Amino acid sequence: MAATLHDSSEARVVTHRRRRFNEYAVTAVLFLLPAFAFLGVFVLWPIIDSFRLSFYKWNGVDPDLTFLGVDNWVRLAKDGVFWRAVRNNFIIVFLSLLVQLPIGLALAVLLDSGGRKFSFFKVIYFLPLLLSTVAIGILFKYIYDPYFGIINATLERIGLDALTQEWLSNPKIALYSVIAVICWQYIPFYMVLFLASLSGIPAELREAAYIDGATENKYFWSIVLPLLRGSIITAATLSLIGSLKYFDLIWVMTEGGPVNATELMATYMYKKAFSSFEMGYGATVASALFIVVLVTALTVYFPLQRQEEDIAG
Amino acid sequence: MRRITRYTSLLIVMAILLAAISACAAPAVAPSGAAEPAAGEEAAPAAGEVNFEFWHIQTSTPEILQNSVDRFMADNPGVNVEVVPLQNDPYKTKIKVAMGAGNPPCVFPTWGGGPLYEYVQAGHVVDLTDFMQQDSYVDRFVPASLSNVTFDGKIWGVPVENSAIAVVWYNKTIFEELGLEPPTTWDELLAIVDTLNENDIAPFAMANKTKWPSSMFFMYLVDRLAGPEVFANAATRSGGTFEDPAFVEAGQMIQDLVNRGGFVEGFNGLDIDTGQSRQLLYAGKAAMELMGSWNLSTMRAENPEWVEANLDFFPFPAVEGGEGDPSNVVGTIGDNFYSISSVCPYPEEAFKMIQYLIDDASVAERGPAGRIPPVVGFSTEDPKQQALIDLIGNASSVQLWYDQYLPPELGEVHKDTMQALFGLELTPEEAAAAHEEAAVKFYSE
Repeated sequence: MAATLHDSSEARVVTHRRRRFNEYAVTAVLFLLPAFAFLGVFVLWPIIDSFRLSFYKWNGVDPDLTFLGVDNWVRLAKDGVFWRAVRNNFIIVFLSLLVQLPIGLALAVLLDSGGRKFSFFKVIYFLPLLLSTVAIGILFKYIYDPYFGIINATLERIGLDALTQEWLSNPKIALYSVIAVICWQYIPFYMVLFLASLSGIPAELREAAYIDGATENKYFWSIVLPLLRGSIITAATLSLIGSLKYFDLIWVMTEGGPVNATELMATYMYKKAFSSFEMGYGATVASALFIVVLVTALTVYFPLQRQEEDIAG
Repeated sequence: MRRITRYTSLLIVMAILLAAISACAAPAVAPSGAAEPAAGEEAAPAAGEVNFEFWHIQTSTPEILQNSVDRFMADNPGVNVEVVPLQNDPYKTKIKVAMGAGNPPCVFPTWGGGPLYEYVQAGHVVDLTDFMQQDSYVDRFVPASLSNVTFDGKIWGVPVENSAIAVVWYNKTIFEELGLEPPTTWDELLAIVDTLNENDIAPFAMANKTKWPSSMFFMYLVDRLAGPEVFANAATRSGGTFEDPAFVEAGQMIQDLVNRGGFVEGFNGLDIDTGQSRQLLYAGKAAMELMGSWNLSTMRAENPEWVEANLDFFPFPAVEGGEGDPSNVVGTIGDNFYSISSVCPYPEEAFKMIQYLIDDASVAERGPAGRIPPVVGFSTEDPKQQALIDLIGNASSVQLWYDQYLPPELGEVHKDTMQALFGLELTPEEAAAAHEEAAVKFYSE
């Protein structure tokens, strides 16, 4: 009697457990469904639809679409402006990685070493990231103005007239002028990211290192930097993807000009789709942009990730 | 209790999903066009409640349009118009997206020409011919003003804002100080350019980030060299090409002017929408600007004292040996034309509202604001404005801006080649060839 009672209660526990699992699964699905639905409708579907559109000629307002096959893609492959845009995008990638990350890291280390005393600077350095990009663009358009801008005026005042430039109009330097502003805007972001990781490094490590006779330099290169590895990879990936899709500041400051000197894949896509009424070709550029970003991100991310796991393992 | 909660949450999730899907499906279906009239009927309101949207880009004098709309609403109780002012260049994108999504405002502005024709062909615009013919309303307007909105023998827009022609605005104080006279020929203009440069004043201010300001030089030079037919023949593909010698020669004259120091430094990076060319005039750093006659009202709004003391204009000079009539002007009679979108459920009310935009009270307000409304018999006390009116009245032809006349795809190519031409990135021959190549490709498809 007692045994049967025991059995049935055990069985009840099992069914109860199963029911709890089922309940849990239903809840999980319910909670995930909205996110998946939104991603599907707002991310996945537009991507697929862009690829579909890239095979058509469409002016964006006409109800009729003309099927072109791969004509748009052939045109893209031969389009010098598009390849110039790709090159410009990669210039932004490299300069962002070379400038933003090291300066962001240096600022983070500096602020971290100061502790409370530097709170004020933490806020100040963070400010550019809080400004709207359009406001920054207009601000720097005035700063770069060849007649009234503060840069040329300062250079003239201190007798360096030879260094004054047509910052945004000279096709040779316009891209670098804008990149400087992009860096100014995003360095604080990486600074905050690194600052957060730095504060996660326990103080005991530093003490232990000093007891073992490490110098400040040695401590940074051999202990801090390897510990920041994860953050650095994250920062590099973010910077890479962000630079490849970059649009806003360039659009506000130069619209990709003068004469395509600062053209990016995204600005070129926008111009084709919305100014020239070539929605089909614009979709082709958008799809190509998607492929470039995806391939670059995967080729960079996975090897780094694997290396990371090897080290951890 | 617990069970009920679970079902409720399920219902909520489903509701959210449905909302999300239906919200997204709408724009995807809209371009098919078939759904549009149905959407209109559905939106038909209870009696006495008519609501529609009106977009415009008259951001320097929004009150004139607002006053018109207020008068319209006062005379038509139960009709409510939401007025949405937008900035010039962003508007061009916004209206296109709205059209493509089947969600445009009832009343919207265009510059006539190519882009409006695209919307007309796509069936997005209401044919206004009958409205315009009613009680001979059409006779109110200067005939030249309707040519930019008449396609296939029908009228698709109402000219309202202004008669805008490009003229050379100049600082008369600087001219007086240097003993300069407004030039009547290109050679005289070049002499003035040299004198100004010797005095460290940039001859022409130009803000060419948006590319269309530079096109004005090109359009005038082509017209002065060979008359308006050269462009018309090339654009309509009736025996002409964009490689016509007139286009190449105009390009050479422009590059000569650039090399002579005819323009402010860095003009290809300056932005007209933030006033960077006008600031150079106000500061006396530059002496002239080739710009639409809207400059008069814009500058009066920005800097009235300076305008009173310094601003004057002269027509674009003749070119020696050119075949074009020097009285010809480049510009638009009407400037902004208001059209009604075909999804609008209230075309009659919308047209009535448009009539208020250019009624007598509105015309009377436009005069002092420096505008030249495209109505017959308009005259003004303002000498500068009257001089512009006379210039338009005496013109043998009015060439519409190329980038507005051409279909948008070619308009963009035109503007791109202009920026490259002025930036000395393309030779005149290369610019002409690029233009022609795009035109051949466009019309062969």
